[in-house]
Amino acid sequence: MTKLKVGVMSFAHVHAWSYLSSLLSRDDVELLSSDPDGARASDPGPRGAEFAAVLGAPYVETYDELFAWEPDIVVICTENSRHLEAAVLAFGAGAHVLCEKPLATTVADAESMVRLADEAGRFLMTAFPIRFTDGFAALRSRVHAGEVGTVLAVLGTNNGKIPTGDRAWFTDAQFSGGGALVDHVVHCADLLDSLLGEPAEWVSAVSNGILSADLGLAVETGGLVTIGYPSGIFATIDCSWSQPANAAVWGDVTLQVTGTDGSLAMSAMARYISGTTASGDVWMPFGLDFDGAMLDHLLEAVRAGVQPQPDGHVGVRTTRIVAAAQESARTGSVVRVA
Amino acid sequence: MAQLTVGLIGAGGISHAHAPSWRALGHDVVVYAEKGASELAEAYGLTLAGSLDELLGSVDVVDICTPTPTHAELALAAIAAGLDVICEKPIARTAADARRVADAATERGVSVFPAHVVRYFPEYAALHAAVQAGRLGELAILRFSRGGAAPSADWFFDEAAAGGLVLDQMIHDLDQARWIAGEVVAVMATQNPPTVDGVSPRIAVAHVTLTHASGALSHVQGSWGPAGVEFVTSFDAAGSSGRLQYDSRARREITSNVPPRAGSTSYLPTLSGDNPYASELREFVAAIEGGPAPRVTINDGILAIGLAEAALDSVRTGQTVPFDELLILTGVAA
Repeated sequence: MTKLKVGVMSFAHVHAWSYLSSLLSRDDVELLSSDPDGARASDPGPRGAEFAAVLGAPYVETYDELFAWEPDIVVICTENSRHLEAAVLAFGAGAHVLCEKPLATTVADAESMVRLADEAGRFLMTAFPIRFTDGFAALRSRVHAGEVGTVLAVLGTNNGKIPTGDRAWFTDAQFSGGGALVDHVVHCADLLDSLLGEPAEWVSAVSNGILSADLGLAVETGGLVTIGYPSGIFATIDCSWSQPANAAVWGDVTLQVTGTDGSLAMSAMARYISGTTASGDVWMPFGLDFDGAMLDHLLEAVRAGVQPQPDGHVGVRTTRIVAAAQESARTGSVVRVA
Repeated sequence: MAQLTVGLIGAGGISHAHAPSWRALGHDVVVYAEKGASELAEAYGLTLAGSLDELLGSVDVVDICTPTPTHAELALAAIAAGLDVICEKPIARTAADARRVADAATERGVSVFPAHVVRYFPEYAALHAAVQAGRLGELAILRFSRGGAAPSADWFFDEAAAGGLVLDQMIHDLDQARWIAGEVVAVMATQNPPTVDGVSPRIAVAHVTLTHASGALSHVQGSWGPAGVEFVTSFDAAGSSGRLQYDSRARREITSNVPPRAGSTSYLPTLSGDNPYASELREFVAAIEGGPAPRVTINDGILAIGLAEAALDSVRTGQTVPFDELLILTGVAA
């Protein structure tokens, strides 16, 4: 089997770590990475060559060198607001793209990325790894098999610790596009997109900045987003960064589907052992390699020449929900999703 | 505590929680109901009254456990007879009617206690106490969820008379949200399937989002499901310095692994620990005897109905409904 060449653009997103680790462990790919903006970033955590060296990942200083290597696939891990400019380079170089979520910070940028992919004749995939959990796969197939009857409503939660620390841009709207409404709505929105198979019709959202107010952030840290669908189904997503910093568990992504015959619920982070050691309460996950499963799917699809899922269109639809939620939270009105 | 003679009106589902609790507290109970009174009397050792007037003439306090549409009228009759009233939630179908009950009680010099029993469930009382003690800091995001089999009696589903899922069942967690996170200023709600021609769906889910005056946000999910589903409640409260969670499925004193049998159905919770109905009635009796005000007052009952009505308005209009507590309590805008 010919090895696929996978390039990783930027280490701004913390998931660059898991992508590099996962790609390094595979014998069906060649890897090259570059993080030219790392040196200028205000992040306290390691960036650039230093970050790559920790993992032993092959590294070049410039994107020119990365693209001169002619990668088949590029994984975009820039700040959210820079996804489009990275995609311009990647599609310009003829690569397929896996882009971190959210696909973009504006609907216009997200739509441009889909257009660029179409024009280049390359695949665009949005990184929604929770879709690749066994929990979601089971929930989806059991709901589709009719186990809960006709679906009436869904309650989703994506509660975790506030992403501070190594990567400060997550809470800087200029780079992230916003706070918890951006960071945590899209995962559940993607699961809903796959589960319900219908586009959102309206969004009503409220948000506040009470959690972690001591950090003095300008973005929302908590929010409740209700999405209505043409069938009458609605879903609420709690996107709050509500997990205390000293909790043993990072958080969870959950989905509870209620239908006419009962309800089913999934937890994405249910596989762990827990207990107490000298350092306090501990949480040790096992078998939670969603990123690896997502990369498996991407590589298999690219080899087969078929569009990997979730595609850029899902990225656009979930970006629309975020934009509508931001507008609703700002205006207090229910916002129609275009 | 003095031994009272309690006039229990109604012999439906909730009377089976109240009657034994009154007996456990050592009070005598006279019951009057259109049907089922003799069975209830036999089961718990109560005395039968032949008419409402006979009951009102022979008791110290009235406990209304009838269907919602009759609450206000019965409360007014008891008040007119000079009796203190304990009334199942909601006190009335509308906040305006509940206000009339409150006004009549004030005029007659008697008290009305709305039976929002969830305030007496130890897990909710523990959350409230933790919040009051500042253990979560400033509250930010709260979630409450409650679901079980839909009730069987038809009156629950007549929206004009009883308010359906939102007023009958979700009023519990609307009251919890207000009790724990304070005054509410806006309500957004949605229900599926919708109410059609005034008939609430038997199997339904509704979501209500509340904005509190403090800036805190609460989400309430209520569901009425098919016969046989387990009654489940949960909450998740996050504040600036912590997070507390409860799920009635998460920690159990007994777990079983027995193949399911057909037929079991309930929309009332399984009780563990202190019987919250008895705790509630004990607190009401103490107040009647001149003790401290109970943790839930008639104004709380009126506002809980107001919240449910605002949620029903929001379900109907698809828009966020502003909420003005003073307006609900007085009929006059702030």
